[in-house]
Amino acid sequence: MDITIKEIDEGVIVSVTGRIDTTNYNKFENVMNELLITKIRQIFIDCSRLSYISSSGLRVFLTAMKKLTKSGGQFKIVAMQPPIKEIFDISGFSSIFSIYSDLETAKKK
Amino acid sequence: MAKMRGMHKELVVKNNISELERLVAFLEDLQNEWNLPLPLIPSINLALEEALTNVIFYAFDKDTEQEIELDFKMKDNQLTIIITDGGRPYDPTKKSDPDINLSAEDRPIGGLGIFLIKQVMDKVSYQREGNLNRLTMVKKWY
Repeated sequence: MDITIKEIDEGVIVSVTGRIDTTNYNKFENVMNELLITKIRQIFIDCSRLSYISSSGLRVFLTAMKKLTKSGGQFKIVAMQPPIKEIFDISGFSSIFSIYSDLETAKKK
Repeated sequence: MAKMRGMHKELVVKNNISELERLVAFLEDLQNEWNLPLPLIPSINLALEEALTNVIFYAFDKDTEQEIELDFKMKDNQLTIIITDGGRPYDPTKKSDPDINLSAEDRPIGGLGIFLIKQVMDKVSYQREGNLNRLTMVKKWY
């Protein structure tokens, strides 16, 4: 897994490449926790290169989304690929997360 | 024409979470050798990760090294995976499903692993045989 962070006017883009599984989810969790300490209005998770996710990764998504929402921020998932979307659908996560086809759309909402 | 014989392969892993990396490599090889439909691999990987993670984290006493056996069989567009461990008796199929219709606020963190296995596989069953837990997962395709 590879994570890159980019600051933009609207917030922060977190791009995750590869797999989030039980062997490495804590790396993703640490990045999210560090971001959540700062006052961020919006986090955009760019999933265009995310290829696999298990329940360990889903847990980090849900925890981070809840924390950010509670502090008044917005957590947005962008460019999710079909295999990942399928897991979000199965888990009921698609209805509780804000999911956008691309970054431009996500920024406007 | 001779009837195709079923195929069989085995992988033995230790009760260490880093073994999941070996599992991923093993599945890649298996897909190649058995020509498994590529789109099924993430689902099979997911079911195996969730099942194995449970065994690795909860089945054994801490600081003991144990082995978990993974048995793969393919016949007639059907893959059967049997996970066998000598840990505490535990039937994951008895775990109740999470309520996936709850709002974000009410949604608890966690509790999805076994549910995901049941969703992505066609059949999941458990047997306790002597000192062994045996979880059987079946995936079919057409």
